[in-house]
Amino acid sequence: MSADRRVTATLLPVMIREEWRLHSTLFGGRRFAVFPVLIALASAGMVWLLVFTGTAPATIALWLHLLVFAFGLYTGSVGLIGRDGMRDLLGDLSLVLFSARTLPLSQRRLLGTFLVKDIIYYAVLFLVPLTVAYAPAAATAGDLARLPLLWLTLTGTFVVGLVVTFSAISARTRGRAGTAVLLAGAVLVGLAWATGINLLDWLPYGFYNGAGGVTPAVGFLATLGIAAVGLAAFDPTSESTSRTTGPDLLRWQRRLRYDSDGLVAKSLIDVARSSGGVWKVVFSGAILFAVTAGLVELVETITGLEPSTGLSFGAVLGLTSFTTYNWVTQFDDPDTYLHHPIATAAVFEAKFRSFLVLGLPTVLGYYLLAVGLWGERALVAVAGGVLVVGLSIYLFGLTVALTGLEPNTFLFDTARFAAFSIGSAVPLVPVLIVGFVVEPSPGLLALLAATGVVLGLGGVGLFRWSVPRWTERFRMG
Amino acid sequence: MTAIRADDISKDYGEVHALDGLSLTVDSGEFFGLLGPNGAGKTTTIQLLTGQLVPDAGTMEVLGVDPAAEPVEVRRNVGILPEQESPPSFLTPREYFDFVGTVRDLDREVLLDRVDTWTDRLDFAEKLDTLNTDLSRGQQQKVMLTATFLHEPAAVFIDEPLVNLDPIMQERVKRYLEGYVDNGNAIFLSTHDIEVAERLCSHVGIVREGRLVAERKPGSLSDGESLLDTFVADVEGGATL
Repeated sequence: MSADRRVTATLLPVMIREEWRLHSTLFGGRRFAVFPVLIALASAGMVWLLVFTGTAPATIALWLHLLVFAFGLYTGSVGLIGRDGMRDLLGDLSLVLFSARTLPLSQRRLLGTFLVKDIIYYAVLFLVPLTVAYAPAAATAGDLARLPLLWLTLTGTFVVGLVVTFSAISARTRGRAGTAVLLAGAVLVGLAWATGINLLDWLPYGFYNGAGGVTPAVGFLATLGIAAVGLAAFDPTSESTSRTTGPDLLRWQRRLRYDSDGLVAKSLIDVARSSGGVWKVVFSGAILFAVTAGLVELVETITGLEPSTGLSFGAVLGLTSFTTYNWVTQFDDPDTYLHHPIATAAVFEAKFRSFLVLGLPTVLGYYLLAVGLWGERALVAVAGGVLVVGLSIYLFGLTVALTGLEPNTFLFDTARFAAFSIGSAVPLVPVLIVGFVVEPSPGLLALLAATGVVLGLGGVGLFRWSVPRWTERFRMG
Repeated sequence: MTAIRADDISKDYGEVHALDGLSLTVDSGEFFGLLGPNGAGKTTTIQLLTGQLVPDAGTMEVLGVDPAAEPVEVRRNVGILPEQESPPSFLTPREYFDFVGTVRDLDREVLLDRVDTWTDRLDFAEKLDTLNTDLSRGQQQKVMLTATFLHEPAAVFIDEPLVNLDPIMQERVKRYLEGYVDNGNAIFLSTHDIEVAERLCSHVGIVREGRLVAERKPGSLSDGESLLDTFVADVEGGATL
């Protein structure tokens, strides 16, 4: 075995073991181990609901591919968090990923292995349960034998999503030339779509839907090629090592007005100056916007019904709260302020205000874009607008209540993820069903707008209720 | 006058007994050093005395305030330098000092004057507009030291204050701390560095397994006796108060 292969053969298992230890240490081994079970149950519930509403199994399979593609896009944003971001995202943890400074390993090799590890992890922990959840629907369609193929194409789709985001970010680390290549790629895809080429056939989904082997194989090989170029081009040291800037804190604080201790200004500066700047917030919203757009188009194609733009986007875009929450909480935690005369409650309050300043304009911007692109009646647009604001605040309040101000803890903490899934599904699912398949009457619109107001107030209530609980927990150590 | 007092304080983290009935007193104008092996309870003691944690038992008072009952008030009155803590990554030192000045309600002119004094003392004026994340560890420590003393508190809690500083800076900080105590302020130092404690501290407490097992006055050690020998004997010999 060559030295190169030996290193890779060593690195990958070590990273996988490290990932397991990281999560099992944080959340407990058993809790982490049952996470796939929770995914399977939640997905099975979703599949059952779709079957119950008369959706064909083949359509469900397509939706699963779209969801997994979006998840891959999101996971690929690991490249957004460059040199400084990794440390801030993962705290003071020392990971094998960071060992290029002390061992004779290149950052690219480490990052490449890290991405492969991520693919293996998600393929097993998320995609196997998702495939299992689809089994009953596949059985009704007499399609059980193709379940392994479904898992493979879902995994391939996840890889494509991951590679697209990562390569785009990698290109951005190469300055104007990289950006030009990125734009050229986007234009090519846009042209292909505009000329009527079915892009789905070029994705691993093509293997599943019977588009033949050649087109999706070419598409996947191209993806691997892009991944190789992306890895080779990725420059984690592209940022300056000694960035200077004028004093902005007091200026931002004055502009915000309701920020007597500067905590909101600090949170916003953290987001703006960390890798990716405020664009990472916009990017996270763009992924959800694209997913909703895809769903809206799909529903119309399949059912012949025209989904309500205002209500469908109003419901789904509220989920951007979760990513905005991650961005505003990622760069500090309440402990950071314990050597200042600042109450923990004030830190929570500042994060809430930071979310309002950063998250609401983003989600409303995407909402207005959707209404502008697809059109909507004024009354429905207003109801959807109230809904998106209410849902956003509710989901932020729910997230804070469940996690304190810890970012990303959800993802593998089974109990909290289950609570979040239930807490978000209860208002979201009925609204989505109405948005996608029901013609909204004025009475229904009034009810939905009222629901938005109640959810917003509920979110504030959840937030206020949780702050003393978290404060007490932090003080007890 | 007593600046810092802990009476029989205890703190458990689940099954771990971090502190087990620790008592100590530090007067104004006193340089107190808390020495102990790793995991003895030094950091927990500081966290309790500064209201960052609440004790399971015992009472405390810092500059006349109960940290368990009024944590923010205690932190308003004292200065705290945590061990290995970095200043906020994406602020510059100048912005961080502005932030500290805001939360401590310092007069703007006073703040700027003190920042000037500290940047001269620790020689980092040219780094004031560099992002903290891009500073070296030593420069970050200078920022943290400055932030600790900006409001000139009557008592400070400092955990390994000299870490990552070069010998010249270490000497400047030591001299500043000596003068600070001479002005009637109290310093509570947590350190592993016996030589630093021997030079600076007027009063040393040795903590082991969450209990204060010995108190020493470095200035009163007999000829040929070192604080290191005393420390080793107290920790390994099973001394009890």
